[in-house]
Amino acid sequence: MDAGVLAQYVFNGVMLGVIYAMVAVGFTLFFGVLDVIQFAHGDVVMAGAFVGLATYLALHALGIAAPAVVVLVVACAAGLGMALLGAIIARWLILPLRAAPAFNTLLVTLMLGSILRELVRLFYPNGSNPQPFPRLLPSASANLGHFTLRLDTTLLIVTGLVTIVIVNLVVRRTRLGLAIRAVAQDSETARVMGIDFERVVLVTFAIGSALAGFAGVVYGLYYNEVNFDIGLLLGVIGFSAAVVGGLGSIYGAILGGFLFAALQTIGSVALPVSSAYSNVFAFAVVIVLMTWKPTGLIAEPASERV
Amino acid sequence: MTGTAASRVAVHSQRTDLVVAAVAVAAIGAWLWAFLATDRVGVLATLLAVAAVAFVLAQRLAPRYRRALTARPRAATSLVVLAVCAVAVALRDQPYPLLMLCTVLLFVVACVGLDIQIGHCGIVNFAGAAFFGTGAYTAAVLAARGVPHIAVIAAGGVVAALVGSLLILPVLRTRGYYAALVTIAFGILFSTFLEVNDALGGPQGLKLHGIDLFGWKFNRDVTLGGTTASFYVNYFVLSLALAVAAFVFARRVERSWLGLAFDAVRLDEIAAATFGIGVARAKIVAFTLGNLLCGIAGAVYAMMQGFIAPNNFTFGESLILVSIVILGGIGNPLGILPAALIIVVVPQKLQFIQEYRFLLYGVLVVLILLFRPEGLLPRRIREYFPGSGA
Amino acid sequence: MQRYLSFACALVLACATFLAPGADAKETVKIVFIGPLTGGNAALGLGGRNSADLAVQLHNADAKAKYTFDLVKLDDQCKPDIGVQVATKAGADSSIIAGVTHYCSAVAIATVDTYHKFGLPVIVWGAVLPAITYGNDYPEIHRVNGTMINQNDVNAKLVTGLGYKTWVIIHDTTDYGKGHDEYFTKYLTQDGGKVLADFGVGADQQDFTAILTKVKELNPDVVYFGGLTPIGVRVRSQMDKLGIKSQFEGTSGIVSDSYIQALGPLAEGTIAFIDGAPIEKLPGGKFFLEQYAAHKYAEPPEAYGAYAFVAANLIMDTIEKVGPNRKAVIAELAKTKDYPSIVGPVTFDAHGQNIVPIVTAYVVQDGKWVVWHDSDYAKGKRKLAGGK
Repeated sequence: MDAGVLAQYVFNGVMLGVIYAMVAVGFTLFFGVLDVIQFAHGDVVMAGAFVGLATYLALHALGIAAPAVVVLVVACAAGLGMALLGAIIARWLILPLRAAPAFNTLLVTLMLGSILRELVRLFYPNGSNPQPFPRLLPSASANLGHFTLRLDTTLLIVTGLVTIVIVNLVVRRTRLGLAIRAVAQDSETARVMGIDFERVVLVTFAIGSALAGFAGVVYGLYYNEVNFDIGLLLGVIGFSAAVVGGLGSIYGAILGGFLFAALQTIGSVALPVSSAYSNVFAFAVVIVLMTWKPTGLIAEPASERV
Repeated sequence: MTGTAASRVAVHSQRTDLVVAAVAVAAIGAWLWAFLATDRVGVLATLLAVAAVAFVLAQRLAPRYRRALTARPRAATSLVVLAVCAVAVALRDQPYPLLMLCTVLLFVVACVGLDIQIGHCGIVNFAGAAFFGTGAYTAAVLAARGVPHIAVIAAGGVVAALVGSLLILPVLRTRGYYAALVTIAFGILFSTFLEVNDALGGPQGLKLHGIDLFGWKFNRDVTLGGTTASFYVNYFVLSLALAVAAFVFARRVERSWLGLAFDAVRLDEIAAATFGIGVARAKIVAFTLGNLLCGIAGAVYAMMQGFIAPNNFTFGESLILVSIVILGGIGNPLGILPAALIIVVVPQKLQFIQEYRFLLYGVLVVLILLFRPEGLLPRRIREYFPGSGA
Repeated sequence: MQRYLSFACALVLACATFLAPGADAKETVKIVFIGPLTGGNAALGLGGRNSADLAVQLHNADAKAKYTFDLVKLDDQCKPDIGVQVATKAGADSSIIAGVTHYCSAVAIATVDTYHKFGLPVIVWGAVLPAITYGNDYPEIHRVNGTMINQNDVNAKLVTGLGYKTWVIIHDTTDYGKGHDEYFTKYLTQDGGKVLADFGVGADQQDFTAILTKVKELNPDVVYFGGLTPIGVRVRSQMDKLGIKSQFEGTSGIVSDSYIQALGPLAEGTIAFIDGAPIEKLPGGKFFLEQYAAHKYAEPPEAYGAYAFVAANLIMDTIEKVGPNRKAVIAELAKTKDYPSIVGPVTFDAHGQNIVPIVTAYVVQDGKWVVWHDSDYAKGKRKLAGGK
């Protein structure tokens, strides 16, 4: 295979991996503090993209056109909007179900996901159809043989990675992060230490969901198109990435995200059978991986919480 | 002397218990009939409201009358079966409600299977629709080759269990959400494979003919004593028989040593292993039994529908099956029936609001879970003597 | 307790909001519309529903009509089993005389037995799988739109005639995409075109960059896409992202306003085909589009709205003629010959299939779907990709 073509696969795969990783980090953060899976997380990404789109249209109507300003405002609006949504979900849907089996949270968030989806479909103007997402980044590109290096994609990859690194630093290096990790390890002891459990949970959900909102904007800027039903598959892939990587570990989520992107790319172009089998391939590998490493590639440090 | 007085009181209270149970079951039957038969919005709203109020009242009165239903499980079961049959008789010439009733009953069978896995043994299975679909496709393939239908139905279950054995190793090694991912992956893999691969009809699916059990053709209307009933009555009888069998089976398993082992494994694998319970064996048995039930239900469902396609058995349908188990209250087969009614029938009853129906349906389920975080009828603690508990 | 009560009250209120309205004067006849109103294919389903609704409203406004029609609208979710459920609901309801049914092929093929069993005459308005009409001898089943066979025949002839030599096919793995793949490959090979590669993609797939990188390496003259608007938009937009300069062509599934709306200038030059006459050119077509706009539906009619409109009209006209009786309607529909409609004259063959004489080629020009033969591209004023 031509080196340029190979570089193109890797480049696109990395972009895809960044989006998956951003979604997976949210799953892993939520699992860390509450041991729950927020299944509507993919739809939060979708909602973030739509909030970003609506913000863009509002700015456009106001006549603000400077691309740098627009991108910044759009990203902030999506991030803040989703942070709020995440906190609301935690406060009114997830904490009330804390006493119930963990799988009930799953059902409630599953339904929430379909509510978000249907809300956008029904109430966003012409929401049943794909919506164009504006091209706000400089679209300069360099051709190196078969390889097209695009400036906008490069910017998105860098931004995505930086965001994940920032979230990781917040969790690892700040006092807030210490509280999050304390709750994740043992919420009872954390409470005894004077940590406001409920607040930490809300903040964690806000952070994870803000990241999803950013991911939505990145998605929109990369594909230049968003649709109300992108959330379900993104959610499943994000969840799979987080679990394959090892729930509770941010590095695991990143690893899982890139792994999934790689599997899909290989499945689409490098299999002897039709590319339609790419999902069959990706998920078959996931099953094998889970058999090999039952608690994910980067396993939780504590063996078992009793 | 005092002895006979006490026994007289006991007999008397047993009689009142039975009366209470009969009244309750009759009321539920009447409600079910009205719910399935109506298409009028006002009636539907009233029925749902009545159900909500009745549910609350039942919860309040439950401690006093629970004995009425649990003290004599056989009598209670027969009453419920009688009530459901009465509903079917009342609906005999209305194919649509009967079809919905059959669908609910077959989903109940599959969900009882999932409940053995999830609720008893703690194995999360997000590939319910894949095993349901395995049964359905097995039925389509075998029936087309002229295999007797009774064997086809059984084979549906057996093949589903065999396909499930592919997953036994990863399922044994993983737990919780990790096991969930294994089954999610399998569920997606299953429907994608069927769609992409043309060997089994590809995306267009396969056609089936109605069930023919020993010359009794299910797709013919039934004429009995001058009245003609819809052919779905045949399927109803079969589905009900299967549902009852599944219930009885699940109850027996739960009350056996096997059931105790399941509970121990679910609650604490390490402790269970310490007490000499074969964790792997328990999990394999639970997983296989559950898939068997899913497969049998799928085989009958396929022949009743007359047509199957891959997008009947996607990850989304697996989520529907799991939703029924969760909404009913994990681990309690009794909760499955009302939950299946809500998950399967309510979206159809909301057809009048057209494109808004899934929104309202989602809101409805979220509200129910917020008011009943543990599901409609959560599993109660095991009773050593059935019916002795308060 | 209070919580439960408030819950119950909320429930009653929520449901009471949707209480049905009262009665009518003329004899009312019920007909049914079935299509996907929720989920991924809802856009086309809602367009069809609005169009059928428009037909009924226009008919009811006509003072000379004998009957007032009541359109029951049901959602099949594009799922075969739900389709059988709603088909049973409609078929078993003897007050419903006929139906305008199904956009999704998998649902339409699953329900034919049900309609036959209950003797409900239906006209399929969107599903393109040939076997829906040709796979059985049921007198109940009719279809106004064409099958994917004709469309791909015309398609292959036109594009090979333009001088293109090599193709890459991308299709979704539903019966719609796979069917188009099959027939297009067949006709293209007959007409001398060469298929370099054939990619199947999931109907909810988002990222096509891996496949498209391979396409770029193969460098075909044309990329053929068999599938619906959402994926068509993604494939076209990602082609641009990777700098693929090939001509893009699609099937009836992308002939929608939203395709152009979502792509903007990128849509320019896309070729696609529909089975039927160009509605805006027929006398009734303009009227349909004007009335549709005047009724202020929230969603556009999309590619198949016109067929739902025609199917509803054909049913209502037949009922006006022979009365609200299913058997009579079936007998009368079988005789349908040269029924004037906004998609051209409708004639049913022995299988109830409209023998569509026309397939119309479209090309996107200046943000509009323009009939190929009227376009600047056909006249040579503008060039498609590859200078053709």
